[in-house]
Amino acid sequence: MNTLSSYARSALFLVTVLVLHLALFSDLRVLGVAPEVPLAIAITAGLVGGPERGAVAGFAIGLGIDLFLPTLFGLSALIYTVWGYAVGLLQERIFRSAWWINVLVAAVATAGGLLVYAVLGELLGEANLYTDRLYMVMAVAAAYNLVLSLPLLGLWRWSWPRLLGEDR
Amino acid sequence: MATGTRTGRSRVTLIFLLLSSATLLTLDARDFGPLQRTEETLFDLISPLRSGADRVFDPVGDAWTGVTGYDELESENEELRQELQMLEGQRILDSDAAIRLESLLDELGLPYVQDIPNIVAEVVTANVGNFDRYSVQINRGAEDGVRNGMPVVTRGGLIGRIDGDPGRRHARVALITDPGFEVGVLVVGSDDVALASGGGRGEPLVVGKGLEIDTEVAVGDQVVTSGVDRSRYPAGIPIGTVTEIDYDEARLFQILTVNPSANTDNLSFVTVLLYDPLAEGS
Repeated sequence: MNTLSSYARSALFLVTVLVLHLALFSDLRVLGVAPEVPLAIAITAGLVGGPERGAVAGFAIGLGIDLFLPTLFGLSALIYTVWGYAVGLLQERIFRSAWWINVLVAAVATAGGLLVYAVLGELLGEANLYTDRLYMVMAVAAAYNLVLSLPLLGLWRWSWPRLLGEDR
Repeated sequence: MATGTRTGRSRVTLIFLLLSSATLLTLDARDFGPLQRTEETLFDLISPLRSGADRVFDPVGDAWTGVTGYDELESENEELRQELQMLEGQRILDSDAAIRLESLLDELGLPYVQDIPNIVAEVVTANVGNFDRYSVQINRGAEDGVRNGMPVVTRGGLIGRIDGDPGRRHARVALITDPGFEVGVLVVGSDDVALASGGGRGEPLVVGKGLEIDTEVAVGDQVVTSGVDRSRYPAGIPIGTVTEIDYDEARLFQILTVNPSANTDNLSFVTVLLYDPLAEGS
C-alpha cells in the first residue's frame, strides 16, 4: 500500500513538474536561458533516492519532455537516465552529504548534463546543439538549478517518505 | 548482502532503461508509425493540462519578461519608432514595388499565394527548452492535409516550413531563423534567383549564394520567395527587406543582409499553405 502510494506520489509529482515546466518555467528566461527543470528532476531524484530511482525518474521525465522537443524521441530519456543513475551512485558512494553539497552537485551535474546532451545530440545528427551559446546556457541553467534543487529535494523526500529509513 | 542485491537490481534497471531509450531513438529515427501514434496520444493527454496551466501562468511569464527584458524592450521600442518613420516614407515606394512584383510574377507564370488553399493553425508549443530555438509545434497535422515541407506564413511573410512528417493532429514548423533553413529568393525587380538562409534567433537572414555582382540591388529592396520550378515555396511570399549589401571575397556574388518581415517570436497563430509543388493540381 505504501509502495503504491509512493508510486502515485512520484507520478503526480513528475506530471505536475512537467506541466509547470512547459507552462511556466520555460518562460522564465534569464539571458534567453530557461531553467532545466527536467534535468534537475533526474539529478535530485538520484540524490534523494539513489541510482535506481534516479535512473527511473530521469527516464520518465525525459520521455515526457521529449514529446515536446524537436530532437529525437528518447534522447532526453537516455541522457537523464544516465545522469540520474550517475548522480545517485556518486551520492551513495562518495558524498553522503550535507544539503549544501547536494545543491552544489545539482548545479555542477546540470552543466555536465547539458554538455553531454549537446555532444551526444550532435553525434546523433541533431543540429544547433553544440554552439557558441552552449557554455552560457550551461552556466545560467546551473545557477537556476542551484536554486531549484532545494525545493525539488524536499519534494522527492515527500514522494518517497519510506526511503530515508528503510529502502536505502 | 542486501547492498549487493540492491546494486545488482539497480544495474539491471539501468541496462533495461538504456536499452529502452536506444530502441526509442532508433525507432524514431526510422519514423516508426506506431511509435509516432503513441507519442501523439501522450502529447494529447498532456496538452489539455498544459493549456490550462498556460492560461494560469501566462501573466507570470509576461511579467517576468517585462522585468528581465526591460532594456531590450526599450531599445526595441526605439527601433520600432525609427522603423515606423521609415515605413511612412516607404509607403509610396511600396505601391510601385507591388506593381513591379505583380508584373514579374505574371511574366514568370507563377502562382499567387492568395490562390493557394491554406489552413490556420495555433502554435501549441514554442521553445520549451534551451536547444529548440528554431522550431514550434502547431495543432494541425496530416488529418488537415498538412505535409512535410509545406510553407508556413503569417501576415508578415514566410516564417518557416513543416519539418518532417506531421502527426495526425500536430506538426512541427522549422523557423526561417534556423541557420540550417534555406529558401530560394529573388529581389523584387531583378530576375536573379538566390539562396537565403537563417542567421539565428533575432538575427537577420543572409542571401549568400546566387546573386551575381551585376544584379542591381539597393538597401530597402524587398525580397520574396522565388517560386521557381519545383521550389518548395510558391512565388511572392515576402521574406524581408535588404538592409546591407556586401560582396564575397572573390567579388563574384553579392551577399545581402535581409531583415525578416515576419516576426518569429511569440507566435500564436500561423497559416500553413497547403502547397505541394510535386502534387498534381497544386
